[in-house]
Amino acid sequence: MRREDAIATLAAARNGALSVATMQTVLAWHEAGQAAQDHVDNMGCMGTASALGLGLALARPDRKVMVLDGDGSLLMQLGSLVTIGGAAPPNYYHFVFDNGVYETTGNQPLPARVDFCGLARSAGYRQAHSFADAGALAAALPAILASQGPVLIHLSIEREEGPIRWPRVKMADQVQALKERLAAAPPR
Amino acid sequence: MSTAGPGSPGAATATPVARSVAASVLFREIQRLGITHVITVPDTHQKTLLALLAASDTPRLLTVCTEDEAIAINAGLYIGGQRPMLLIQNNGLLASLNALKAIALDARVPTLLLVGQFARDVTRTNAESPVRAVRMIEPTLATWGVPCYPIEGPEDVPHFAEAYQRAQDERGPAVVLLGAPTS
Repeated sequence: MRREDAIATLAAARNGALSVATMQTVLAWHEAGQAAQDHVDNMGCMGTASALGLGLALARPDRKVMVLDGDGSLLMQLGSLVTIGGAAPPNYYHFVFDNGVYETTGNQPLPARVDFCGLARSAGYRQAHSFADAGALAAALPAILASQGPVLIHLSIEREEGPIRWPRVKMADQVQALKERLAAAPPR
Repeated sequence: MSTAGPGSPGAATATPVARSVAASVLFREIQRLGITHVITVPDTHQKTLLALLAASDTPRLLTVCTEDEAIAINAGLYIGGQRPMLLIQNNGLLASLNALKAIALDARVPTLLLVGQFARDVTRTNAESPVRAVRMIEPTLATWGVPCYPIEGPEDVPHFAEAYQRAQDERGPAVVLLGAPTS
């Protein structure tokens, strides 16, 4: 599926979840209008989006957390699957956008293709699902987000060409804005 | 606070430069500061402190796979209103410099790191150490502008709270460098 179709599907199903995005999901999530609140980008540190989301999920068990990760990013911190599986936050939903390449550096292939769903199950995720079609994703997503995490949702994404762009937003500003917003709406 | 090793370089002596701090003392400091989560990639120097933390429900001890992860988890917990800290060792700190740069420094997340000087000969100052990780931690932190608070004995324990407060006030990292294994 195209990235923008997957992003639109996730946006439609978000329903107030907190979100963390990284790499090539960042601009797409911003352009889908999903980054203005309850969101932080993981910038300048490829691989740590899943861990940042884990911290959020542990801190706020009353809120669902959606992490928009990349295949190359997750491979940089593959151990985070084990940490997340061990911590087992029930409000954690890990979306892995898989196009098989390092897109920002010119679409070089990953070292190898891997079964992210198999890795997640082995690491202790409660569920893992894979989708190559936006329609099937849209149909399944409400039930997935209503179920207990941690869940890994693998998304097969088409390769794209073209310039790499980033939103002009500072992560430091997002951190403080989200912290203040969450403090103003404490768990009941 | 210091950005250089305690004492001055010179001939090694059999007299300890760094002396143990009781794990119970550090544990009480952690509790007194209201720390909610201790995120760790376990450290040889802090075995006894880790044992105390593992036996207690508060703060929650969270063992993770890498120090990069630990820094990012710390950020998520902080954003969510918790009071987390890291417990790692010197080699792990060196391994996590990109996360320290991007999350603690650039994204301005208060990040307190209690770092054990693994492989330190306690009869030598850090600057005298033949072990590169021990010798280079403080110069590395100084290069990045990260404040470093050595604990070389029980009299330095107040540095822990000072480091915590500095991380909060400046919204950035602060390292507490533990010179000798906890007792």
